[in-house]
Amino acid sequence: MQNKYKLIITGFVVAVIFIVVGVILLGFANETLDVIAELFGAPEWEVWLPPLPDYELPGFEGNLLTNFIIGIAFAALILVLTFFIGWLVTRRRAKG
Amino acid sequence: MHIPDGFLTLVLCAVMYAITILFLIIAFWRTNRILSEKQIPLMATLTAMFFTAQMMNYPIIGGTTAHLLGGPILAITLGPYAGLISMTIILLIQALFFGDGGVLTFGANVFNMGVVGTFIPFLVLFAFLKVKPNRNSLLIGGFLGAFLGDLGAAVAAGLELGLSYPTFPYGVSIALTAMVIHHSIIGIIEGVATLVILLTLHKARPDLLSLKRVAPIITGDLPPLMEGK
Repeated sequence: MQNKYKLIITGFVVAVIFIVVGVILLGFANETLDVIAELFGAPEWEVWLPPLPDYELPGFEGNLLTNFIIGIAFAALILVLTFFIGWLVTRRRAKG
Repeated sequence: MHIPDGFLTLVLCAVMYAITILFLIIAFWRTNRILSEKQIPLMATLTAMFFTAQMMNYPIIGGTTAHLLGGPILAITLGPYAGLISMTIILLIQALFFGDGGVLTFGANVFNMGVVGTFIPFLVLFAFLKVKPNRNSLLIGGFLGAFLGDLGAAVAAGLELGLSYPTFPYGVSIALTAMVIHHSIIGIIEGVATLVILLTLHKARPDLLSLKRVAPIITGDLPPLMEGK
């Protein structure tokens, strides 16, 4: 198998492990900024309504399987997107 | 570390957008000239990995949590400009789809985690390797760079919040103290994670570490990370 495929597969396996650990064990987020905001009553503006707030599908909050699927799908999306941007950048250089 | 909408003044949001766009223009220009096709799979893999790594929230002090950034390893393996592009992709997806970090504060978040969080680790490691290019410099410089990179990003976020009166009316001291104390702990974890990935890559794919990084013109690329295997 080509080295680049080995690298991608290995990286994706590690990403899946991170997602499993993240979803099951380390999913609870209480970031410093949120704590400060809560403590002092700083208001958060709703400028943009994200489709998957807090990495969860509305109506399926706390569902581990859904959260796992979201993690996998977006890790794959980012992999493809970064590949595309990298390819675009190097392709433009080849043309130029 | 992700600043939500409403915490920074609109003026500061605009200023941070302008600074970040400037860095991104330079980043794309430099990446276009330097990034090798061989580095694209590494860039894509690390970007996806650190998106998922940011889903893991480590308990730190007083019931709060923090997550890895990923900027240090991206900067050390690909160069800070390519690292900035990777971090921008992660932060854009997080802001648009998950509401993790604001849309108005996107420029500030990219500056903190994508610019400060990649350039500091690169420059610290560069300094160590310039003085003495050996394994100890790599280990100490890599760890310290990652730690200071996270701390630097926290300081930047704290300063932005502190300067955002009256939107965030608690002053620099409260914002900065809380951010720095909390993120110094995650900085240690980031340092260890950076070293683990760096040493794994060196053992498994040393060729990837010998490719030219997308580095600032002033410094140029890092000296060779380690001679031989």
